[in-house]
Amino acid sequence: MNPRTRKALEFVLDNLVWFMLLFVLVVFSIFIPNYFQLGIFANIIEASSVLGVMSIGLALVIIAGHMDLSVESVAALSAMAVGILFCSSGIGMGVQLHPEWLMVPVSLLVALAVGGIIGAFNGYLVVKVKMSAFIITLASYIWVRGLVLVVSGGRSAQDLAPAIRWFGIQRLIGLPLTAWIAVGCFVVFSLIMAKTPFGRHLVMIGGNETATFRAGIRVNRNLIIAFVLAGAIAGLAGWLLAIRTSGATANLGVGLLFNAFAAVVIGGVSLKGGVGTLPGVYAGVLLLSAINTAINLMGLPANFTQVIHGLLVLAAVLLDAFKQTIRQRLA
Amino acid sequence: MSEPLLVLDNVTKNYGAIEALKGISFSIGKGEVVALLGDNGAGKSTLVKIISGGLEPTSGRMLFEGKEFLARSPAEAKAAGIETVYQDLSLCTNVDVVANFFMGREITRKVLGVPVLDERAMETVVGKALASAGTRIPSLRTNVEHLSGGQRQAIELNRFVHWGGKLVLLDEPFAALGVEQTRRGLDMIRQVANQGIGVVIITHIMQQAFQVADRIVVIRQGVVAGDVARNKTSPDAVINMITGETLAGAGPAG
Repeated sequence: MNPRTRKALEFVLDNLVWFMLLFVLVVFSIFIPNYFQLGIFANIIEASSVLGVMSIGLALVIIAGHMDLSVESVAALSAMAVGILFCSSGIGMGVQLHPEWLMVPVSLLVALAVGGIIGAFNGYLVVKVKMSAFIITLASYIWVRGLVLVVSGGRSAQDLAPAIRWFGIQRLIGLPLTAWIAVGCFVVFSLIMAKTPFGRHLVMIGGNETATFRAGIRVNRNLIIAFVLAGAIAGLAGWLLAIRTSGATANLGVGLLFNAFAAVVIGGVSLKGGVGTLPGVYAGVLLLSAINTAINLMGLPANFTQVIHGLLVLAAVLLDAFKQTIRQRLA
Repeated sequence: MSEPLLVLDNVTKNYGAIEALKGISFSIGKGEVVALLGDNGAGKSTLVKIISGGLEPTSGRMLFEGKEFLARSPAEAKAAGIETVYQDLSLCTNVDVVANFFMGREITRKVLGVPVLDERAMETVVGKALASAGTRIPSLRTNVEHLSGGQRQAIELNRFVHWGGKLVLLDEPFAALGVEQTRRGLDMIRQVANQGIGVVIITHIMQQAFQVADRIVVIRQGVVAGDVARNKTSPDAVINMITGETLAGAGPAG
């Protein structure tokens, strides 16, 4: 095999999800009437912003060789905290700040702090007490959702303060600002993972934790930071969710976890750790969103979505195994 | 022997009721190559881990460059100038050669105050280091998982030669190497020692020990069973020390 075909093949393998996304978009555009519109594509990006942000945090922890099942509940709790503070009806307390724009950073900080604290709690137990991340974060997934029910009493908060809502309404080049926030997060965290020592260390910890420890990398510190980041990013996802629904309900975001997992796996992140990139995850998120939109447009019952997502995850895992064999032959 | 670089004074290590090390005392000089020999389970690897910060001793003390020394983590040992090559390789196979070479010590440049990996600078350094050691690897950007066992071990060896430090610990470094690569590895050790760096090499192969070491230290059942200059002993005498046919502490023999 000459070097050029080899390079091309490796490029395709590295960016396989993007090619899949392109393929799916082309097929849908050809076969589904009205699919090929800028508005539809904008909608795909817009609809994927919450899931996208949440997937970033999940991907960070999985790449570092661990797991965070709590992201969905954490997002819900953050959304509920923002909802209770800044909504004016339902269980909202309708806190007013002057000037009004001050509510934006304050609500954002509240959401990030709620997420960050739970992330730190998870990280501490996993890293210092050396318990399995799966169990710890499964517990958090349950108790944090329970906390949402407790603080809300099962009721909801509506009418989020307009100053915060503005992010969901104001558009820039056809996309609401919330979508730009998601895109911005992907760009920033992709750069962190690919270009900084911190990102490089996370990948290496996911690959061989013992080796990184021996090399003098502060493994525990890096892992706790990863968990805190995953929590805080989930908090940001909750903030976006509150804006999108203009409030918060007790069962907000239920099911997002499995979509996030699907997106991460489809995006080429290995659950074994150490493998995967964030741009791939974003492509995975967009792929899911593109398929959802297609199902809507075709007028299929929404219940089909879950079947298709499940099959897609299966396909992604099989594809990953296939990719491995090709790579071995390349080397 | 020149002035001692590392002195171990009655170092012990217990795992529960099991005494892995019952009191080890010996020293390593600057620029000296010490071969650490002993049967399986004699405590060689435990000793290496204690020096390199992977384990803490139960009792005893160490002096490094004349000062009290105890590494609580590999990072501390590295900061003091102690490099270790472990017998199970310490490579992250999911990243490329360059990333492994610089693991934990990446070259960065500041972009808007944020440290960013300087890949080009790192690749240049690795390319030079590997070339000067005569190691051929097709692409420095291939992930280590695609490389052979010998290539992987070569990366580890080149890594310690490059970083140097003051003391190098090698735990069976040649297990996966071919004849030619082993010879080159032994040359590397000599070359490193000539720079004034102390070297401790654990090996099972008597021939290697006699080829490279200045001094041979034998550990048996957690104690030093022999500590002799290479030119004052013979392989047969050393084997006797390892298996216990000579009394512990016996001096030059044969």
